[in-house]
Amino acid sequence: MQKIQSKLLIIFSILFFLSGCEEFKDIDKDVFVSMIGIDHSDDNEKPFKVTLKLFVPTSSFRQKPEANYTYLVETAETISEAIRILETHIDKELDFGHLKLIVLGEELVKENKNKEVLDFLLRRPDIQLISWVTVGRPNAEEIVTMVPKGETAAYPSLYNYFDGNGTESPYIVTMFLFDYRRRMMENGLDPIIPIVEISENESTFTVNKSIVLKNRKTPYELDPLNTFIFNSLSMNVKIADIEVKQGNEHFVAKIDTIKAKNKVKKQGNNKFSLDVNVELIGYIVESQNALNSRDLPKYSKLLEKEAKENLESFFHELQSEGLDPIGFGLKYKAQTFHHKRMSIEEWNETYKNAEVNIKVTASLKSTGSIQ
Amino acid sequence: MNTQETLLWINEQFANTNELTQKTLEYESKNISYMYIKSLIDKELLQKILLKPFFEMSNMDQYKLYVQALPQYQEISSKEQALLEIMNGNILLEIDNELLLIELKLSKNDAVSSASVEMTIHGSQLALSDNLMTNINLIRSYYRQPTLNIEYMSYGEVNQQKVALVYDSEKVNEQALKLIREKIQRVDKQLISAANQFNNYLNDKRFSLFPQMVMTERPDRVIYNIGGGKIIILEDGSSQSLAAPVVFFDFMITMEDDYHTIVISTFLRMLRYLGFFISLLLPSIYVGVTSFAPEVFRTELALTVAGSRMGVPFSSFVEVLFMLFFMELLLEASIRLPKAVSATATTVGGLILGTAVTEASLASNIMVIIVSAVAISTFVIPVNEMAFAIRIVRFLLILITTIFGLAGLTLGFLVFIMYLVSLDSFGEPYLRVYNYRKSKKRSEGQA
Repeated sequence: MQKIQSKLLIIFSILFFLSGCEEFKDIDKDVFVSMIGIDHSDDNEKPFKVTLKLFVPTSSFRQKPEANYTYLVETAETISEAIRILETHIDKELDFGHLKLIVLGEELVKENKNKEVLDFLLRRPDIQLISWVTVGRPNAEEIVTMVPKGETAAYPSLYNYFDGNGTESPYIVTMFLFDYRRRMMENGLDPIIPIVEISENESTFTVNKSIVLKNRKTPYELDPLNTFIFNSLSMNVKIADIEVKQGNEHFVAKIDTIKAKNKVKKQGNNKFSLDVNVELIGYIVESQNALNSRDLPKYSKLLEKEAKENLESFFHELQSEGLDPIGFGLKYKAQTFHHKRMSIEEWNETYKNAEVNIKVTASLKSTGSIQ
Repeated sequence: MNTQETLLWINEQFANTNELTQKTLEYESKNISYMYIKSLIDKELLQKILLKPFFEMSNMDQYKLYVQALPQYQEISSKEQALLEIMNGNILLEIDNELLLIELKLSKNDAVSSASVEMTIHGSQLALSDNLMTNINLIRSYYRQPTLNIEYMSYGEVNQQKVALVYDSEKVNEQALKLIREKIQRVDKQLISAANQFNNYLNDKRFSLFPQMVMTERPDRVIYNIGGGKIIILEDGSSQSLAAPVVFFDFMITMEDDYHTIVISTFLRMLRYLGFFISLLLPSIYVGVTSFAPEVFRTELALTVAGSRMGVPFSSFVEVLFMLFFMELLLEASIRLPKAVSATATTVGGLILGTAVTEASLASNIMVIIVSAVAISTFVIPVNEMAFAIRIVRFLLILITTIFGLAGLTLGFLVFIMYLVSLDSFGEPYLRVYNYRKSKKRSEGQA
């Protein structure tokens, strides 16, 4: 009997280690953070301004369908300090487990405080690595505190822009925290974050631009067209509209299949070329002129030409700025042995001067249903 | 053995009662005397096969031959046997100073009833009766093999109940049979009233949670088990039989599985296992997730749960235990109550557990859904005994989750599986996935 008792004692004492950092806390004693906005404040002593958007729980969404939030704002020297202060502003425990969206203020991004912010986001265990990272324009606080019309409770409409369930626009770049971290750490693959703006009528958000970061460089903004091109080259966007304006023809092609392949090819000594092959399949949805379906090959050619022009200007812009969000540098690193590899600075220079071979194969299947 | 002495001894045994009837007949130089217990005897039969011929036959030799030719005739080996047989409904006949036993038992419990515990839509609707001989008759007539072996014995010091081991001597799991014979010898009880009791008596452990034998009332299941090499224990006066050895998965099949098409029965089986896991884990998952790791939920769900818990005065685990406790009470009450009242009980209970409890905010809405899901899925487990065991394991898992969270639940579930693995039923590993019939060679250790 003594033996069994001592065994049980040992087993139970081992079990107590299991509880780890977890503790028993009822769910109604937690308050869930839906978004965090991090801004740069003008105060030099307290450079970080943290805005939290908190869900207010309701027992029935049918009875109370409109969105209901509480906001907490605080400036402090570090983000953690701000959160520590904010914890004294509310009666419940702040739970970041449901935090899905991180909004970085535009100022903050330009101030090059990204490493510090990232450090906080990664180290805190309850912030999930699958949260989305965005840039708020003009600042994070405004984006976080805005509730657009028609927003349903429990699911902020800004989530819908990024989760792939709501809008599936090719102009929206989705950047997860884990990917953001990877791109921040990795050479040869630059972070790209979507910019969230408030639309002119102040009732919805607009997400169609993005920003490319590079170490010790001012962030470079991609306009909607370039954002779209980046998306279709790298993010598996499947559906897109391409406006073709060539010669007399002016039509819009709806593309339902985009296949893009990128390659880095060695061309002689320290000369590299970037090969981009794009395949577009779709049909015409809008046209200024009457179209003849027998001329489809011709329209496809026009589409190819249009796409190629756009791609060329896109790559020209990226190369002149030395930005590489698509990851050619990483591809180069992957296909070269480490002792034969050139240094990062050398590669950056090579990248800027690399020749870009763009090949677009378009095939339009129909001119729409009007004959 | 002296005939007169035996008769005197038997008379002495019944000295204190007036149950024993003794008669002597003398007619035209023929004479017999007989004794029986009135309440056990089929009087019509007695009149037809013993008394009428006595008056019709010309001499005693003929009558004696006639009696010995009767199928109910039985020889006497000892006076104790004679006594026991009288109590079993035999009539003791004395002809020419010789004792003969004729079975004239009147059975009022040999009607085959319809299945009430293991209901199926398809297949036979018959269940075993309370009468051992009727049951064996059923089994024999469904299982036509000369190798079908039946061993009779009687247990219970006071009531001397007849017990039969039924098995197919070719297919039977020899090792298990040996073990059962060995263990059944050791059974030393005053009263045995139902076959189910052997589940405990043949189990050497003091505390056992999971049944070591599967209980069934369906003849088709009995046949199925005999064909699978199992040993069936039948008892007189019990409409349920036990089959052993069993594996855990025996408790998850119904006879209907074989009567459906393969896709349907696979679907039903999956449903059953899903129900099993829900009834086992759902309450603990609720406690673990709401109180330890709310990020596991979808955001909407987390907020709904948090919102519906507003105003509930208890912690999540108290809430769960509270509701489950009432569910268990309701279950137990509806079994024990007379049929006329049980409908009222379920209505009242359903009302309380359904809406009133949330309106009084003693439990959250979500909790009511969880409790009903658990209740429903518990009913999906086809063999009742296993459902009872699961109900207890469920509480243990809630307890461990309350203290250690989801990590504790995972570990607790692991311990549950380890416990099942460590169990054995008469030498057969309890959690063996495949049927032992298929394995020619056995590598496991003995029980």
